[in-house]
Amino acid sequence: MLRNKRSEALMALALIAPFIAIYGLVFVYPTIKLFMISFTDAPLIGDGTYVGFDNYTRLASDRRFDTALWNTAYFVLLSVVPGTLVAFSIALGVNRLAGRLQSFVLALFFLPYILPVSVVYLIWDWTLNFQFGIAMYVFDMLGIGRVPIFKATAWFIPAVAFITIWWTAGFSILLFLAGLRAIPGEIYEAASLDNAGRWATFARITWPLMWPITALVLTIQLILQLKIFDQVYLFSTGGRPNDNVVLVYYVFQRAFQSDQGGRAAAVAVVLFLIVIVVSVLNFQLTRLSRGNNR
Amino acid sequence: MPRIVTLAKCVALTVSLFASTAHAEENVVWWDFLSGGDGVRMKQMISDFNAAHQGKIKIDATTLEWGTPFYAKVQTSAAVGEAPDVMTYHASRIPLAVKQGILQEITADDWKAMGISKDDYASATWDAVTSDGKQYAVPLDTHPIVLYYNKDILKKAGLLTDDGKPKGLDSGENFTATLKALKEAGVKFPLGSVTADGNFMFRTIYSLMGQQDGELMTDGKFLTGDNGKKLENALAILQGWTKDGLQSSYTDYPATVALFTSGEAAMMINGVWEVPTMTDLHKNGKLFEWGAVELPVIFNHPSTYADSHTFAIPANKDKDMSADKRAAVLEVMSWMDKNSLFWATAGHIPAYGPVTASAEYKAMQPNSTYSTLTENMIFDPKSPLAGIAGPIFDVMSSSFVPTLNGEMEPAEAVEEIKAGLNDM
Repeated sequence: MLRNKRSEALMALALIAPFIAIYGLVFVYPTIKLFMISFTDAPLIGDGTYVGFDNYTRLASDRRFDTALWNTAYFVLLSVVPGTLVAFSIALGVNRLAGRLQSFVLALFFLPYILPVSVVYLIWDWTLNFQFGIAMYVFDMLGIGRVPIFKATAWFIPAVAFITIWWTAGFSILLFLAGLRAIPGEIYEAASLDNAGRWATFARITWPLMWPITALVLTIQLILQLKIFDQVYLFSTGGRPNDNVVLVYYVFQRAFQSDQGGRAAAVAVVLFLIVIVVSVLNFQLTRLSRGNNR
Repeated sequence: MPRIVTLAKCVALTVSLFASTAHAEENVVWWDFLSGGDGVRMKQMISDFNAAHQGKIKIDATTLEWGTPFYAKVQTSAAVGEAPDVMTYHASRIPLAVKQGILQEITADDWKAMGISKDDYASATWDAVTSDGKQYAVPLDTHPIVLYYNKDILKKAGLLTDDGKPKGLDSGENFTATLKALKEAGVKFPLGSVTADGNFMFRTIYSLMGQQDGELMTDGKFLTGDNGKKLENALAILQGWTKDGLQSSYTDYPATVALFTSGEAAMMINGVWEVPTMTDLHKNGKLFEWGAVELPVIFNHPSTYADSHTFAIPANKDKDMSADKRAAVLEVMSWMDKNSLFWATAGHIPAYGPVTASAEYKAMQPNSTYSTLTENMIFDPKSPLAGIAGPIFDVMSSSFVPTLNGEMEPAEAVEEIKAGLNDM
């Protein structure tokens, strides 16, 4: 039968049209609009006049933007790689278990992931609250001075990073576990016949074979953590918001508190570019290092 | 064919039904941000209103999340003509709202229609809803902060005056002496203070600045002249209390209330909205004898920070309000003000003068004790940057927390705040 290429193309177009339309409406159009707004002095709602690169140039001397940038970088540093390693090691441990026990332990580690962020906030606030937190009573018993974790800048980001790892590790563990199960048992069998030790087996078989998964988890985590907002917002309510500010929080402050849509858009564009650059860089790096392992 | 006729009949019937109900009863869409104790009381008032206006006006109320979420929603909905007919609003947020153009003016005719005038309010309250000589809201209440105290503990320590108030309310030294005496009497925290929440402490610190006639904003400039010094004085005395162990450190809002109600803190500076908490606990026999008074005079003269819950009419874009609807909205606002005696049970001081002047209000305790502070109220500076959950709050909060807990020197904090405020 002859195929009518033209009608096939039309058919294909008709089939993807809904997606294109929705994608254009809720992603492409707002993104273009965001770039346009960032060159104006628009309020949160409505139009503004064109101000050129003003919104961008003033970021250079903006102290709060500086704080936000460094806090975000610090948070990414403390959460992405440690979070991935923690998830990997837990997955290795869970993988050694079998049957019901494995499901049970896996469920325990996965449980925090299903919690909404507000619940996570409440749980940890009850644990670490300076006056009534359970952990503080433990500190008292051990004779350690109480620490105002969420009110001290030195502790804030590390604590939020720790909580984020606790909260989101479950998903990464699942990915790692799926990867570990996909490694054929014969390879390990062959290795043990060759008298390979545990470390050698891990370093020569598990780690290289798991690398694509590790790279995937790293990339997902990186993009996710660059966009951190909820935890920081909740844990700093009423405390020291301007010392704990991160990039998305700063966008929120400019847009919704100060009613400066243009300046908020400029920060959002900067974040957008950072995410693109960092994730491309991350992808290239992980590809390169995989080449070395071969 | 018969089916079409039936259908047409149905449509006609529905339309006429809608039309007739719309004509008979004006539906007023209402948004507020009042949850918790005062929310319960407002719901009661709304149902009372609906009962009193059966068949004429009906309030269709929705409660939204307090703070930034509420105000962001109001702004976005007004921009697309979907805002309610009437809403609660903080007086401190009016300057920003006027700049955004989301409020309708309450005209002289409106005031006349409501039967309310300027003279029914304290001048500070009237001023708080005024922007460029025009009024943009109808004040419902003022909600200042007050000093709560545990009568049992103070009595035992011999620190109650004959009329049942704490000793040392007249000067900084005397009040500090009272705190010290409480400490010596073995009280863990003489003063429960929300030291972990700079947003909250803004109210206390701003009051203490007001006691020295300090201004946060003068002609659009922040902390000019010796105002910085006055802020430093306020911070210094509060920091001193922390350093001497006289007030609780790093305590957030719920913890402060808990410290006070559990008797670990003998006194507490908090908003009047906690009055129902105390009243209810006391009624159930779970609380000591307690009282609430105007803030102590730490500096030159009494002064207390207050904000005001008001009613405002949003300016819906491209959508005019019918005269009937506007009349209904005015009736809602006026009725609420005139019946705000019940609202006083939520702790707030009714803004409408005739209510606070009534014998019923004067019999309410501790409300009538602290309502004298109405004369000494100060409101936020009139700036789009001010107001609850606004940018000024965030700047100050970030420096208040370390200072009040002894991590940062007051002078350094003032410099930080100045820089932060100018960065906005």
